[in-house]
Amino acid sequence: MDSVAHLDSPPAEDWTVDELMIAVLASCFTDGDQACNGMASFLPVAAFQLAKLTHAPDLIWLAGAVGLEPRPGPIPASTLEAPLWRDALMYTEQYGDFWTLALNGRWLKKFCVGAAQLDRFGNANNSFIGDDFHAPKVRLPGTAGLADMGSVGKALYYWNPNHNPRSLVAEVDFISCAGYLGGGDERERLGLSGGPELVVTNLCVLDFEPETKHMRLRSVHPGVTVEQVLEATGFEPVLPPGDVPTTAEPTAEQVRLIREVIDPHGMRRREFRRR
Amino acid sequence: MQVKQATLAEAASLVSDGDVVALQNMATQAAPMALVRELIRQERKNLALVCLVGGIAVDWLAAAGCMDRFIGNAVSMEQFGLAQRYRRAVESGRIRMEELSETALLARLGAGARNLPFLPTRGMIGTDLIDINENLTMVEDPFGGPPVVACRALVPDVALVHSHRADRYGNVQYEPTARWPDIGIMPMAARRVIVTTEQIVDSDVLRANPDRTVLPGFIVDAVVEVPWGAHPTSFNPLYGYDAAFHLAWVAAARSDEATGEFLDTYVYGPADHEEYLDAAGGADRMAQLARWETG
Repeated sequence: MDSVAHLDSPPAEDWTVDELMIAVLASCFTDGDQACNGMASFLPVAAFQLAKLTHAPDLIWLAGAVGLEPRPGPIPASTLEAPLWRDALMYTEQYGDFWTLALNGRWLKKFCVGAAQLDRFGNANNSFIGDDFHAPKVRLPGTAGLADMGSVGKALYYWNPNHNPRSLVAEVDFISCAGYLGGGDERERLGLSGGPELVVTNLCVLDFEPETKHMRLRSVHPGVTVEQVLEATGFEPVLPPGDVPTTAEPTAEQVRLIREVIDPHGMRRREFRRR
Repeated sequence: MQVKQATLAEAASLVSDGDVVALQNMATQAAPMALVRELIRQERKNLALVCLVGGIAVDWLAAAGCMDRFIGNAVSMEQFGLAQRYRRAVESGRIRMEELSETALLARLGAGARNLPFLPTRGMIGTDLIDINENLTMVEDPFGGPPVVACRALVPDVALVHSHRADRYGNVQYEPTARWPDIGIMPMAARRVIVTTEQIVDSDVLRANPDRTVLPGFIVDAVVEVPWGAHPTSFNPLYGYDAAFHLAWVAAARSDEATGEFLDTYVYGPADHEEYLDAAGGADRMAQLARWETG
């Protein structure tokens, strides 16, 4: 995920955390990848476009899992409506085209996931909060394609703009998207390949410890302390040996592209809960 | 060919209490809303709704007490948030949800459409969605590979869809735009199909672009001409979703009283579709939506 393409651009002086998160997500996608997005996915959509405009001009984007390589202009108010796939090269009909390409195994190998609850082994829940599926405390929208993407060999990149002990929990109330399940080799034993790679939040970047598959703190964003991260997390992430690195700031050029070209209307900020 | 043209009231009468109803709808896109309003006016009860992503249509059917089951991927109005009346009905136990992954819903409908007992998927393996659902079960691969999830065939009693144009024999065309399975495998799986369409045209119009025909008339039971029939959802390329209308619903859905008033104004009150459109802002508003001025 280390960004290599912006060494010629200095760090931005006045970046905000939405822009930093977009830059980190963008660094996960490279030439030769195909990326797609679902509903309410402003940060991934901005990240794909940023990658295409900088280090990954040959990244392929399937907007809304519908429109191949569109020219949407400024990010619209919805990431699952026609303005996002304006001027597409192809409409991928969902049953015959999109899911065939996604399930084949050769394409669309990376997928960005937003989740109401995410646990220490990278399992996600968008189904319900509570202990009874048929009498939930809170009914969430439902998992839709994420329930597939977690089990069909994709590398999962979680994004969470509201890092708190309710969204990052020790154990999800319900596994609606498979991460590393109980950790260790449980995923492999079920015959599942792929799995969670990275978690990008408004406070830090986390990955997964290779043996236990437990979530591990990888870097804290500039201005954020490790204590703040621990306080905001519903479990104790594995800490790297020595000092915790600081997440690279977005470059001046990345910030300019996000603000002026990709998302001049600031749709990306809709994902952040107002304080 | 048999003429299938009908009125909204006649078409809605093909839906019976207790039916499993496949409803076209993808969050804020392409729902046959005029039919949904007619079902509410006719006070259908105990419907099971089958949707990819149910939006305001499902929230209204939940608010009006028309449904007690949901089978599908999700219920969400995306930028307008969770469907609050639906959500509360599930939380209180009045609506039972069968939550399926996308490939599982497609497998269930695909099996239903092709007269198979089930179709398999690799989705959901490792999740908690399988054990709680009697329509999903892990099965061995008879050819020796890893196990897969068998998804039991689903045959809806009726499918409700909206389209860009159709002839009076029920041959249905769709303009080039996002094509979700609810205008494909979903009606093909259902026992009956009801189509609303922006425009009924002469069959010769369809013959000019047969590649745009998505459903053959012989599987369609009724076709109704309803311009702006998907409002307040979008129907690309003809019109965008009505954001102001969605926001007004979201505000009303917070209380029982305001919900009742909203449904009186837009569903129970208007005598017909034209009166509904007038209540929703009339020709001026529709012209804005045709320019995708949604706010």
